[in-house]
Amino acid sequence: MTVMTVIDLRNVVYQYPDEKRPVLGGIDLCVSGTGLTALVGPNGSGKTTLGKMMAGILKPDSGSVRINGRDASEMSLGEIGQQVGYLFQEPDRQLFAPTVQEELAFVSRVRGAAEEDIAGRVGNMLDRFHLSHLRERFPFSLSRGEKQRLVLAAILIQCPRFLILDEPTTALDVRRKAELAENLSDLDSEGVGMLVISHDHEFATRRASRVIELRGGAVHADTRY
Amino acid sequence: MQTHVTEVGSDFDPRAKLVAVMCLSSLAVVFQRPLPLALILILAVLSARYFRSDAVQAARRLRAFLWIFAAMAFVQSLFTAGGAPLLSVCGISLLSTLGLERAGSIVLRFLVIIVSASIMATSSPREIVQGLYQWRVPYELAFMVAVAVRFLPLLRDEAHDALTAIQLRGLKLESIPLRQRLQIYSYLLMPMIASVLGKARELAVAVEMRGFRAYDRRTSHRTLRMRARDWGVVSAAVLVSVGVLGVFMHM
Repeated sequence: MTVMTVIDLRNVVYQYPDEKRPVLGGIDLCVSGTGLTALVGPNGSGKTTLGKMMAGILKPDSGSVRINGRDASEMSLGEIGQQVGYLFQEPDRQLFAPTVQEELAFVSRVRGAAEEDIAGRVGNMLDRFHLSHLRERFPFSLSRGEKQRLVLAAILIQCPRFLILDEPTTALDVRRKAELAENLSDLDSEGVGMLVISHDHEFATRRASRVIELRGGAVHADTRY
Repeated sequence: MQTHVTEVGSDFDPRAKLVAVMCLSSLAVVFQRPLPLALILILAVLSARYFRSDAVQAARRLRAFLWIFAAMAFVQSLFTAGGAPLLSVCGISLLSTLGLERAGSIVLRFLVIIVSASIMATSSPREIVQGLYQWRVPYELAFMVAVAVRFLPLLRDEAHDALTAIQLRGLKLESIPLRQRLQIYSYLLMPMIASVLGKARELAVAVEMRGFRAYDRRTSHRTLRMRARDWGVVSAAVLVSVGVLGVFMHM
């Protein structure tokens, strides 16, 4: 049975230490774990901050974030990571291993999975994200599009039920963007919920079942299709 | 090219601060016992206040490393023989008065270095480079020092981001055995080294494009000038250091 991830934000306020005004000023939002939700808005509207709040990376100054009913501030990042995957804007910060294959395998190995099982899952991910020919390559020598696919594969190999993607189309050409869109459609059909944070309004909203628009740290519009 | 001499306003010349910091740090290295180190710490705090440095903020930023200081102090006290035993297990002294004294000295020495180094943060990197250059330090070296200082906070942020990212892969660090946890920390080096190399490459290209080292001789739009009170700081720092050395060496 698929467990649906729900992220519930209640009156979330957050202010960066060096800023004079809160970047998020009392957000109330519930994002369910199915379909693709697009989070759009101008620069500085608080999109990335809200995404980081939903993944437990930032803690609210006031209000609460609950992931599947549990207060995110009481959960470790590791616990959250088993339910919610987060793709950072900059893939280089999420690559850790000396080879592509190892990048996909090392977390499962640390978590004590059987080698046979790991090999099977790594093989599947390499095929799915067209990375098989690069399995022995050094991740940092890949192109940006390849790095992004690798990071996405490394997150998905842990089977999170919800995925937050921060500006996934940055620096991707038209072909890579189409490939990413195809990957997201596949994930959608597998029941993985997604929140896509993007400046690229057309990309983010084309497949979205819900579009949330932030302005000045508040929800300006929330449209469901 | 015309050289323009600029007054640094109410600020001190960075070279004067550098001399003061070098004196304090050298004293902290020379002395081993807590009493002189405590006195040097008081001098460092007073100097930091005089230069309007936020030493408390600097120490707060390093709080993540407190456990390293604590561990070093503990190891020091553990392996120091001598003094009256304070804590013994099965006849083996785990903590002694001498061990505690050495641990205290280590903590005091670190504090002196942190507080005195925070004084340099009151000058801009550009001023520090200019000061070193006017002291005949090769510009390339001075520039490298300034770049290193500027990029240190970025490196800290990147280490933090990498640690966040690796945990968000579903790794509960708190429940992983120490050996495996150390292995995970070793993985964090990869994105940090890659980032440093990437930044170094980009910076090298950027400075070359701006004509870095295009000519043998450099001219500066902004030139620093040591004023009377800067010389006063230098003299006071040297005299106080010699005085402290003299007093405690003869005790």
